[in-house]
Amino acid sequence: MVNEFAAALWETLYMVALSTLFSGLLGFALALVMILTGARGLRPNRGLYSTLDVLVNLLRSFPFIILMIAIIPMTRLIVGTSIGSTASIVPLTIAATPFVARLMEGSLLEVDEGVVEAARSFGAGDGQILFRVMVPEAMPSIVLNWAVVAINLLGYSAMAGAVGGGGLGDLAIKYGYNRFQTDVMIYAVVILIVIVQVIQSAGNALYRRIR
Amino acid sequence: MIRIDGLGKKYGDLQVLRDISLHVAKGDVFGIVGHSGAGKSTLLRCLNGLETYDGGSLQVMGREVAGRTPDELKALRREMGMIFQNFSLMTRKTVRENILFPLEVWGVPRRQASARVDELLELVGLTEKRDDRIGTLSGGQKQRIGIARALALKPKMLLCDEATSALDPKTTISILDLLMDINRRLGVTMVVVTHQMEVVKMICNRVVILDDGRIVESGDTDRLFLSPGEGLRRLIRDEYAVIPSGTNVRLMFPREIANESIITRMARELDMNFSVVGGRIERYRDDVMGFLIINVADGDLERALRWLKDNDMFWEVLHDGE
Repeated sequence: MVNEFAAALWETLYMVALSTLFSGLLGFALALVMILTGARGLRPNRGLYSTLDVLVNLLRSFPFIILMIAIIPMTRLIVGTSIGSTASIVPLTIAATPFVARLMEGSLLEVDEGVVEAARSFGAGDGQILFRVMVPEAMPSIVLNWAVVAINLLGYSAMAGAVGGGGLGDLAIKYGYNRFQTDVMIYAVVILIVIVQVIQSAGNALYRRIR
Repeated sequence: MIRIDGLGKKYGDLQVLRDISLHVAKGDVFGIVGHSGAGKSTLLRCLNGLETYDGGSLQVMGREVAGRTPDELKALRREMGMIFQNFSLMTRKTVRENILFPLEVWGVPRRQASARVDELLELVGLTEKRDDRIGTLSGGQKQRIGIARALALKPKMLLCDEATSALDPKTTISILDLLMDINRRLGVTMVVVTHQMEVVKMICNRVVILDDGRIVESGDTDRLFLSPGEGLRRLIRDEYAVIPSGTNVRLMFPREIANESIITRMARELDMNFSVVGGRIERYRDDVMGFLIINVADGDLERALRWLKDNDMFWEVLHDGE
């Protein structure tokens, strides 16, 4: 049993870490485009912004389990298989990306408009304002939001068992629920609680350091 | 340096600036005053292209601001530093990093930029705060850093947007002294937007009063305050209590006659009693001006006013509620 727990823990950490990384990068890029093209952005572009806005809302309104099954062909295309931990990283990333985009957009919108105007007043260009003013100023908030994303993905990863992704959530359902091994379920949940605490504390610590 | 002719601007249906014409000469400290919402900050932002305008002409250093390419706008902004009411500094960065930023934006070589930062810190008197985080500074110190940052690229002009409105009176004076010093020693032309009359009096040599997007008064500061028109009077509403009977008259003393004992001479020559309701000494740039509000019985008013006129005094009858 201990071996199965170790394997499940590894699978969970693997899925969460990689999907947090990929959705973080993709969502952040999306957020930058949204910030640039938003109504009060540096290069307002209503058409592009509205399209992204709707796309983000659309993807976020899918229940994860449905999304996961719906994109199986795409998953197979990207990783070559639709079963296993690696395969579940694809739907996890796709599900979290719009969420990340929304959160990061919020972080960047919080940046004092006065600071942006000041940068513009001495001749900074859009790129300089974005990467040297807005992103650094928003960094503490971005870090906190990233912890939120990781914890959310931990929750989503429990559903990855449905495509054979494994992980602690899968273990809890298979042994704890289907086989009535309540102790296994409790252990799995306790480990998940600990992981959540660790992620949140790490996020908070980093936030305090860079604030 | 700046020549504005018939400038207008609209936000949708709202006309925020109408038919603005003014001229700022090199070395001026030019005040733009008015209530909030009068359009003064918008006008200021038109000068460096942070806002656009829809009508008239606005020339800075001989060239129209509208219709410039982005690169030409950046070049213009390099010549015009700007400081803000809320300082607008990068709060997570150090003092040094904040002042360095404009220099980095323009690709000034590292060593040269670093030397410039030290020079600026000395100018604003905060050398010892060099590596402190912005969050640890007081409001006055933050504005000094704002000024240092605005001067980093050696601009010919400094735009001040309510630069002292968030500061206490004592700090305000120290910041105004610094601005005056910069104007004098470095010859930086300034455009100062404010709603604070003390700011105008202390540092501006010329001023326009803006109300509802149009200029209601303009001229040299000292002349304007000696004989204020309707627009200015509405802005400076006296805080002196109005005495129920009699009429309040405000006397203004420029320096030349501040020393003469006008009040006692007036009482003696007219054989008249009046009470002093209020008064103060105000600093106008380097000048000192006295104000005295006296209350004259209604029966004596005509004689008193005639005497003031004969003696070439500057005066003004205050009406209730003014």
